[in-house]
Amino acid sequence: MPTATATKKKVRINGCVASAQAAKYADVDVIAAYPIRPYTATMMALAQMVANGELDAEYIVADSEHSQLSIAHGASSSGARVFTGSSGVGVQFAYELYSPISGSRMPVQMMIADRTLDPPGDFGSEHTDALSTRDMGWLMGWACDAQEAFDNHLMGYRIGEDPRVLLPQMVCQDGFFVSHITSDVELPDADQVKEFLPPYKHPYPLDPRRPVSHGPQIMPEQGPPLQLERARAMEESMAVIEEVHDEFAKIFGRRYDPWVEEFMTDDADVVFFMQGGHAVTARFAIQHMRDKGLKVGLVRLRTIRPYPTDRVKDVLSKFKVVGVIETNMGLGSPSSGGVLYSDACAALYESDKRPLVVSFMAGMGGEAIVLKEFYWMTEKMLQAQKRGKIEKRTHWVGFEE
Amino acid sequence: MSTKGTHIPDRLKIPFAGITPAPTQEKGQDLFPTGNWRSIRPVYRDKLPPCNNACGTNEKIQGYLDLVKRGKYLDAYALIKEDMPFPSVTGRVCYHPCEQACNRGKYDEAISIRAVERFLGDLGQALKHDVVKAGKSNGKKVAVVGSGPAGHSAAYQLARLGYKVTILEKSPKAGGLNRGGIPDWVLPQDVLDREIERLVELGITIKTNVEVGKDVTWDDLKKNYDAVVLAVGLTEPNSVRAEGEDKNGVHYGLPFLRDIGMGTSKVKMGARVAVIGGGNTAIDCAREALRQGAVEVTMITVEAHPQEMPASPEDLHDMLEEGVELMHGRAVTAVLGNGKVEALQLHPARFSGAINASPITVDREAQAERFHADNVIIAIGQRAALKWLPDEFKTDRGTIKIDRFGRLGDTNFFAAGDVVQLGSGQPLMVVNAVGDGKRVAFNLDKVVRGESLQPRTIPVDVIFDLNRMNMTYFPHFPRVHQEMLASASRRKTQDEVIQAFTEEQAVEEAGRCFSCGTCNACDNCYLVCPEPCIARPERSNGMYKILIDYCKGCRVCIEECPTGCLEGVPELDFDTGVVRMDTAFAISPGLHGRQAEELRKLGERAAKNI
Repeated sequence: MPTATATKKKVRINGCVASAQAAKYADVDVIAAYPIRPYTATMMALAQMVANGELDAEYIVADSEHSQLSIAHGASSSGARVFTGSSGVGVQFAYELYSPISGSRMPVQMMIADRTLDPPGDFGSEHTDALSTRDMGWLMGWACDAQEAFDNHLMGYRIGEDPRVLLPQMVCQDGFFVSHITSDVELPDADQVKEFLPPYKHPYPLDPRRPVSHGPQIMPEQGPPLQLERARAMEESMAVIEEVHDEFAKIFGRRYDPWVEEFMTDDADVVFFMQGGHAVTARFAIQHMRDKGLKVGLVRLRTIRPYPTDRVKDVLSKFKVVGVIETNMGLGSPSSGGVLYSDACAALYESDKRPLVVSFMAGMGGEAIVLKEFYWMTEKMLQAQKRGKIEKRTHWVGFEE
Repeated sequence: MSTKGTHIPDRLKIPFAGITPAPTQEKGQDLFPTGNWRSIRPVYRDKLPPCNNACGTNEKIQGYLDLVKRGKYLDAYALIKEDMPFPSVTGRVCYHPCEQACNRGKYDEAISIRAVERFLGDLGQALKHDVVKAGKSNGKKVAVVGSGPAGHSAAYQLARLGYKVTILEKSPKAGGLNRGGIPDWVLPQDVLDREIERLVELGITIKTNVEVGKDVTWDDLKKNYDAVVLAVGLTEPNSVRAEGEDKNGVHYGLPFLRDIGMGTSKVKMGARVAVIGGGNTAIDCAREALRQGAVEVTMITVEAHPQEMPASPEDLHDMLEEGVELMHGRAVTAVLGNGKVEALQLHPARFSGAINASPITVDREAQAERFHADNVIIAIGQRAALKWLPDEFKTDRGTIKIDRFGRLGDTNFFAAGDVVQLGSGQPLMVVNAVGDGKRVAFNLDKVVRGESLQPRTIPVDVIFDLNRMNMTYFPHFPRVHQEMLASASRRKTQDEVIQAFTEEQAVEEAGRCFSCGTCNACDNCYLVCPEPCIARPERSNGMYKILIDYCKGCRVCIEECPTGCLEGVPELDFDTGVVRMDTAFAISPGLHGRQAEELRKLGERAAKNI
């Protein structure tokens, strides 16, 4: 497996190693690790880097994900730049720490390589692991390939550590579809990173020379101001996110829309609305369908927290039908399917031109969403467009005619 | 933007993410009060240590031991002087009920409180001017009849209260029982003289050779003084009512000691002396007899066993060391001899009741014993001479009739000391007479000022149970013993038998005090509080401040309080505003008043600011 020992600018690495490379380029101080597939490949790559002297960092192997995130929290409190990560049920086991870390405004970065929660107890990718923590005050978004994952990590630190923000980040990628599939990744010059990412400096680190209390117990009436400030930070991060994406493009030459990627939407009537690695398949499917004259496009959500409500409203209002591809479980949710549907509908509620919205349960259990399933879903959306009405809110792809 | 237009009111302005500066000693962790978690509030509530409780005059024993431990000898002396006019005397003569009550006695050995008291008393004796001053004059005149322990104490307290006090003493020298009832080898005369001088320094007039009933009458007292304290003591010796008791060579305990004390004794002891009686005076007489030339002294008691004798075990031990013999279970039925004592006739005897004040049953059927003796000293108690007293104030048992405040009817006459305590069940001890004199002085003051006399209603919490303290903090440590003259040499001299503590010894012994139930500023609560919310701006007893806005009621300080002073009071009690005043901050008055000043003020403040 190629690691950062590669000297050429362009390397062929998988998503996990791309994340490890990003941590190295970010010159992290502390790595809090605990193995769980598929994230394990990231901690392995980092262990190698630390062992062979490529990266000077404290590499702490915890005894569980709960400890792992506790270590990350403590290390960040002392002023360290911290990298950690997990997958699936590992993400869940550390759940207690997510709110304290964001509440104490510690910009810990956590790499997520998605994995299903049990059942089915497999290693496949479902976004439910990270999405279940989406309201805990962490900045969160999905990459669709290794290069984007690498870039998101660097931008994540820059955004999260900005004094206007100071929030932790979950930088997510699909397990296996991104984490274990090798692709070309352009690694930057160290000087570029230096220019882009200044050293981390928390305003009140734990330091015996300047004693402070972190996480004191409070009176009930003192809770709301802290929550309000955390909410402000989340909202104010939106401007920072846009600034950072601009600056990233200037320095590294790769420009991402911070919120959504639009693919073949200019004249589209129906669009897929989705996040993560399946978007790569979706692009191919759309190209094939375009060849047949179907007006289908893709809107890929890149940042889910903070949720770009206005942007989603504006973009999706251009179309007749929106098909939300979930790849997550929202049992008993408004659509009785996944959780992305609700956010999309909420964003569209105030639109003057509301499209029809339908939800697709696809890629569950880590199954690939194959081309013919995209064709099937397109057909469903076109039928709805024709009918002017959806057949039902949620379709279980592969289980219906 | 949901947060647009929001603002946080000033009172809720908080630092970034609630990250707060380090706590300070004055304010603790100032920002986020967590006191609302609390269901139990730690409260410093001084209990009454058993020593203070047992002391006849409730000396603040724990208090002065603590001060001695810290080297504040003068403060300790001043504290003892609040309740005790002559610590130099009681430091030598007291039968120290405090030591019998001392909780340390249940653990290893009781504190040698009397020795520390003597250390302080001797320090006071050496002062050019006493620390105690007379109170601002209130223009009232009080006569105190008798200058023994009760009269001395009453006169002393009254002078401090601002009265013009005159002591009337029938003997040529003041001192009463202290002078005439205690041998020099226990209490040297010059020590007592110095304490009498202190009374004069307070402006007290002492008139000697003035006997009530003879030189001054009841009506004179009533007419010439605003109030009177009768502390006339028990002056008349009890008789054994045996045939031939009037023979030469028969002496009575207290007059025997008194004449020696006053320097008017013409007694010459023969070689063989019998002492009748089993109490402390009898012991003093037996030991004095040795010093007056006796070769063999035998103590004859009705009690069947040394343990039954109403005497201090230490004094009994010291007497036996000096060679006095004991003969138990016998009563004198006749004094034999031709004009002069030659022998005693003894019969087996026992007390008819369980206690040794009950009537004696003598077995006259049994064979009489003849006990050869050149002298007999009868020391079986005393009674009062009250011919001068109006009959309405006489009791059946030959004492002065008083109410529970020591007052004679609705007159301004009060009585204190043995003359009221005889037969009351109270042991007749110097310290009890001192306490009596003190209490009567305060009651007299109230009556003269027209205040009503109220019995004490606040329950006194005496800490007897070692489980109420945290004994893990107290290592076992032996008592420091006072040096004594060798028994062989001391039986022929008037030199003091028991030697004084050195400074080092006094400090070491005071350091053994548990400080039962009372804050002694040990800092433990301050150190163990995990918050920290115990503040120590000033180091002094009872002066810790619990920052109640932050105390979570974790009880660590309460559990770890070595002395048991800290208590958990349910928070609900505070909200009612009733129990708070009465139980949480009520410090029993007069116990540790000085130490508890800060605490007493707490009750006056609103609950939130505590």
